[in-house]
Amino acid sequence: MLEIKKLEKSFGEKRVLKGINLTINKGDIIGIIGPSGCGKSTLLRCINLLEKPTGGKIIFDGKDIQNSKHILDVRRRIGMVFQQFNLFNHMTVLDNIILAPTINKFMTREDAVRKANTLLKKVDLLDIKDSYPNQISGGQKQRVAIIRTLMMNPEIILFDEPTSALDPEMIGEVTNLMKKLADDGMTMLIVSHELNLIKNFCTRVIYIDDGKIVEEGTNKEIFNKPKDKRLKNFLLKINNK
Amino acid sequence: MKKLWLLLFSLLLLTGCGREKEKLILVTEAGFAPYEYYSNGEIVGVDIDIAKEIAKSLNKELVIKDVAFDSIISEVKTGKSDLGAAGISFTEERQREVDFTIDYAESKQVIIINKGTNISGSDDLKYKKVAVQLGSVADDYLSNNFINIEIVREKKFLAAIQDLKDHKVDAVVMDELPATKLVTSEMLILEEPLLTDSYGMVVRKGNTELLEECNKVILRLKQTGKIDEYLLKHLGVNETKEEKRTLKERFYDSVIYDGRYKFILEGLRNTLIIALGAVLIGILLGMIASISNNIYLNTGKFKLLSMISKAYVTAIRGTPSTLQLMIIYYVIFKQTSINIVLVGIIAFGINSGAYVAEIIRAGINSIDRGQWEAGYALGLNYPQVIGKIILPQSIKNILPALGNEFITLVKETSIGAYIGIVELTKASDIIASRTYDYFFPLILIAIIYLIITLLLSKFINLMEVRLNNARN
Repeated sequence: MLEIKKLEKSFGEKRVLKGINLTINKGDIIGIIGPSGCGKSTLLRCINLLEKPTGGKIIFDGKDIQNSKHILDVRRRIGMVFQQFNLFNHMTVLDNIILAPTINKFMTREDAVRKANTLLKKVDLLDIKDSYPNQISGGQKQRVAIIRTLMMNPEIILFDEPTSALDPEMIGEVTNLMKKLADDGMTMLIVSHELNLIKNFCTRVIYIDDGKIVEEGTNKEIFNKPKDKRLKNFLLKINNK
Repeated sequence: MKKLWLLLFSLLLLTGCGREKEKLILVTEAGFAPYEYYSNGEIVGVDIDIAKEIAKSLNKELVIKDVAFDSIISEVKTGKSDLGAAGISFTEERQREVDFTIDYAESKQVIIINKGTNISGSDDLKYKKVAVQLGSVADDYLSNNFINIEIVREKKFLAAIQDLKDHKVDAVVMDELPATKLVTSEMLILEEPLLTDSYGMVVRKGNTELLEECNKVILRLKQTGKIDEYLLKHLGVNETKEEKRTLKERFYDSVIYDGRYKFILEGLRNTLIIALGAVLIGILLGMIASISNNIYLNTGKFKLLSMISKAYVTAIRGTPSTLQLMIIYYVIFKQTSINIVLVGIIAFGINSGAYVAEIIRAGINSIDRGQWEAGYALGLNYPQVIGKIILPQSIKNILPALGNEFITLVKETSIGAYIGIVELTKASDIIASRTYDYFFPLILIAIIYLIITLLLSKFINLMEVRLNNARN
């Protein structure tokens, strides 16, 4: 459903992505790992055009989204969850969740509220729906952020370090929700340093180093039988922490 | 908001327009008794009496404008006023700029010293500090003819006398007539005048019709002894010697007598009207400038408007506000007879807009980039993101800063006196020019400024608390 071809991105002189090729099929859960600054977050941000690629193609639904006149529609269909949650601080949890579907008449307010309530109830967050973001915990914030994304019925969700800003005891509640999504067949791209998260439920893992995909394989292949030297070193370093 | 605008503009239209009888606009600086000074809230004096006669013979209505002495020539030159009269002495320099009428009064420039000072004539002024009124004939003469002399140029000759009283200068050179009324018992007027000169009125170069009419009237008044009559009349009026008066008497003279508090009230009204009008214009301009810039940065649209905005903010923030005010009054509104308070509102509004633009820009920048990204990632467009997500959050930072800008504006309006706006500072100046006593007028308006700004700060604090509570 999504095909990335020779994707390049430079910030001024600095080349961050040096030709990424990646095909994502429906139901794929792809973990993206690699050292800091390797370009994995930039890759995610290019997929919904938060960053403008400097070369290559991103083909979604048969069309390159860079030429699309309906970039906003594309973004609605490709959701994103951020490391810092990015909830709108001046709105209640409920208003955060229903803003996007109601502002563009995607849903009526009643439908949006009903759907929001259902989703909040599923993850036991109904009682905080009238709280402001600064009144709830990090784990709650990230779950609200995920629900906010789900409201638009996205076909793919991009997770950019979803658990990195959380206290350890809150990581579980977020990964559990992600697991539920995976079980429901959601297509997901997950950038994370949290290898357990990747190991847990990714169908495929790619290792990026210096702006290129160095190794790609199943969960087991990458973690149990890494081939590339750089990947081996990377896994060693992380496991020794 | 809309209603307020409407009210403001209709107010300005009311004060700005209205034409009935043709007007003869006289420009003066009303702090030079007996030639022009305030009494009972009106500008009166020898010059005014003469100008009235001129207006009568022209069958026009006399309108008097009170500005700083050094602005009078340019007022006449640019045609903002028809006639200038303020005890103006003939000098070659002035004659190059404007046409003089025949002289109507003679005056001696005298040297005033503190008793016991070792100065007995003009030769002794060498190496001394001498105070004069800026742009006066004494200033001109001393600057051109004395090399080894330090000239202290005061806006008002009253200030020059105060300098002498405080021993900040060794001597004052000024007109004899007001001098005799100003000297205290500790001072002395030297018998030998520095120079003798005569006064004329000024009109715009080439305005021979008016010039001839003026000359005709002045000649008639001189021949019939009217001018001497005027002099005697006005010399009798203002007797407010400062010595041995109690504080209570001084307060009475400064505030109550002759309805002088009315100047303060008028000043207060103008100060508030200008500050309020200017802050509204400022907010409008500031929003246009900052938002157009933000639109350009985020979407690439409105490039030209954004560049103009940037140049505007840079130019305004990089030049003194006094200069901006003078440029707007003397250059941009040169020929038009526009209401001066309106000029003030426009000038201060344009000035304020640049600062408001920066306030809004800083407010927008204070919001984390992640808020933008989350909005975009949800499929919102730029207007939705800025309108629903960014501005509502930055308002918490913007509003208090806007309040501070308003406080600054209230104080800044005091430079409006430069172009003759009777705001608080000018009002105190007018009173002091009558009483020769700066104490109460200055203290009084300082207290008024303080009360206004304290009330505003209180209001801003309240607003901040509200905004914070709304979030928690």
